[in-house]
Amino acid sequence: MEENILEVRQLSKNYPGVTALKNINLDIRRNTVHCIVGENGAGKSTFIKILTCAETRSSGEIFFNGKEFKPRSIREAMDLGISTLFQELNVVNQLTVEENLILGREPNRYGVIQKSDPNERVFQLMKEFAPDIPLNKKVRLLSFAEKQIIEIVKAIAVDASLLIMDEPTAAVSENETKRLFAIIHSLKKKNITVIYISHILDDIFTIGDVVTVFRDGEVVGTKNVADIDRDKLIQMMIGKVTVDKYVPRPVDYQEKVLEVNNLTTNKLKKVGFSLYKGEILGFYGLRGAGKTEIALALFGLDRILNGDIQIEGKRVLFDLPQDAMLNGISMIPEERLTEGLIMKLPVRPNISITNLKVLSHLGVIHSQEERKVVKSYVEAMNIKVKHIEQKVATLSGGNQQKVVVSKYLHAGSNILLMDEPTRGVDIGAKEEIHRIIRNLAEKGKSIIIFSSEYPEIFNLCDRIYLLRDGQIIKEVMNQEANPEEILHIITRGKRINYENQAE
Amino acid sequence: MKIKLSSSFLQKMVIVGVLLLIVIVLSFLSKSFLTLTNFNNVIRQVAFVVITGCAVTPLMISGNFDLSIGSVLGLTGMLSALFVTLSIPLWFSIILSTVVGSAIGLLNGLMVVKLRIPSIIATLGTMYAARGLALVISGGNSIHMGLGKNFTLLGRGYLGRIPIIFIIMFLTIFIFYFIESKTILGRYTYAIGGNKRTALLSGINVGSIIILLYFLVGTLTGFSGTLMASRLGVGQAMVGSGFEFDVIVAVVLGGTSIEGGEGSIFGMLIGAFIVGFIANGLNLMGIHSFYQSIVKGIVLVGAVLLDQKLKGRIAD
Repeated sequence: MEENILEVRQLSKNYPGVTALKNINLDIRRNTVHCIVGENGAGKSTFIKILTCAETRSSGEIFFNGKEFKPRSIREAMDLGISTLFQELNVVNQLTVEENLILGREPNRYGVIQKSDPNERVFQLMKEFAPDIPLNKKVRLLSFAEKQIIEIVKAIAVDASLLIMDEPTAAVSENETKRLFAIIHSLKKKNITVIYISHILDDIFTIGDVVTVFRDGEVVGTKNVADIDRDKLIQMMIGKVTVDKYVPRPVDYQEKVLEVNNLTTNKLKKVGFSLYKGEILGFYGLRGAGKTEIALALFGLDRILNGDIQIEGKRVLFDLPQDAMLNGISMIPEERLTEGLIMKLPVRPNISITNLKVLSHLGVIHSQEERKVVKSYVEAMNIKVKHIEQKVATLSGGNQQKVVVSKYLHAGSNILLMDEPTRGVDIGAKEEIHRIIRNLAEKGKSIIIFSSEYPEIFNLCDRIYLLRDGQIIKEVMNQEANPEEILHIITRGKRINYENQAE
Repeated sequence: MKIKLSSSFLQKMVIVGVLLLIVIVLSFLSKSFLTLTNFNNVIRQVAFVVITGCAVTPLMISGNFDLSIGSVLGLTGMLSALFVTLSIPLWFSIILSTVVGSAIGLLNGLMVVKLRIPSIIATLGTMYAARGLALVISGGNSIHMGLGKNFTLLGRGYLGRIPIIFIIMFLTIFIFYFIESKTILGRYTYAIGGNKRTALLSGINVGSIIILLYFLVGTLTGFSGTLMASRLGVGQAMVGSGFEFDVIVAVVLGGTSIEGGEGSIFGMLIGAFIVGFIANGLNLMGIHSFYQSIVKGIVLVGAVLLDQKLKGRIAD
């Protein structure tokens, strides 16, 4: 048997205008836990998607067990022995544990399901990994981590020899993480190789054998975990990208526009911060750290259990985004396709929708006025469209995002919350949107950027709050920020109390 | 200059084409089809579907359903006759019956929005309840004694040489076409049907808009009920059974997507006339109404299939 279970040679993936992966070369040794780390947008997910056949490669070769690996479907990739534990789990909540484990392979006679053999491998494995989960329990009653175990068991029972795990601990509690790690350990003894994707560096030092760092679509390096420490790993992750694009801006720290105290929701714990006029404030944290939750709570979309929000000294409480917008807060949502745009409609109504009041009289829209205003946004934002009646579905990601930004500018709010404002747009559009954001701040708008992209936060924001596990860990001014220290804080797992927290 | 045709315009042209084709074919098949009297007849039959459809179209564009309209039509029609026999002035009994329709519409809206009951289930509930209520109140009897001769004025009368019901129909079309194309309410309707989440995040009070749309459907259905009773000259609890499907068929034939986000009053109007002309043509040819039902079914499925194929073609 070959020493390497998977060999990747010169693998590339190009999207229109973007290179997601550039000549990736990677060897995965048999029976190891091989970790892959990197910033958002570094190319990790594209790599996984190609391995699982959710995306096609542009060029390059993959060898699995020494044979050329070219599956035509996700099913075929699984049959060949590569299974994936995605962040969105694939269990059927209405069925029991047993029914889920045997799903699709039920023993039957003329279509009538027969009793399953309790000695089957899948049940044996389940008993071994999680003896406490009764087989007749409904899956919807289980925790996320318990559901994960069902998926792992299903995957390896059907001859998977390579299991890919995509940020498996992101939504899992401390104790359950321990159990997951124990399972990963025993997988090695069962001759199963694991590719482990995570932002949490502690995970890597706990269970990883080998670690590969991705950055900007390239492999920066591969090291044995035993030969590397946190500092070196972080340096590999951020490379030479520093905060050179940030230009210090004078912000008047007297004029407070927003103050939040003790904000507590299901996900957030006592979050408190303030925002000043003309400031660009950043919230930086990994996915699941609570960024989106802060934005949702401020925009009237999440139930606030405790704490208060004050806009220019006045206490406010919102039930609907409508209330927030009337009080001068707008949120640019994270998902532009499902939350930002109405794909069936053209550019014009998509932009004007947030504030038809100023374009109408007694509920009747002045269509000329509307066209004029929309055209002015299209020009100011440099949105590339043939005409404003073009359907938004036909625009590129960057132009779509500019439509979303325009629409919330049209709302006229003074406070703009931007959740991942440049996710999935190409470099050119990214810089253009950053320039627009700086211009807005110059004009006196107060902006909060929620981002898990390191350069975005540090090129743009005057002041930064570091977020982990629903809590603010630290506040830093951009010029005093030390990128390495910040990544140290952000990439901690939730089970280890960081020593600086006491500060 | 090159004129860019939008896909929705093309779609409208296609159903207009289908309508014309049906008219041409039928005028060859039956000599009495292409006459003023016959067209008058068709419009009279179609008017109720069109008037109610004017409110149902925006409701369906917003991605919601109302199955209760047939029963509400029966209930309010019966009530308008009943009120007159109770010596309530005719004009006031029309208003009262319409208000009953509005109240049921409001109830539907509240159930869908506040209690989050799927619209098909909620309005199926009111469909049964309204019919039952009509039967209980009327005792199952038709009310035709003591209605006075003015009772049939709206349904059968003329203003000059034009049937009053035509005038009401065209006014309703005009008002709702205006709402659809020129007002904030119209715009919000498309936004909610297109993407409810985006609409909410855009600061639209999605719940109130949906309640308002149900309210409008209830109001117009209530009013149509009184018109129907006026035309028939009788208040009868079982009037309008299956009416909800006639309206939905017209709306869907007119290009309104079942998922919402697309559609138009204009399309609904053409859809209503397609159904109306087919039924009328088959009648003139002496084909039994049992067969008409089969034809209606085939036309509906065929038209939606054609629409989907066209949309696919245009999108490519």
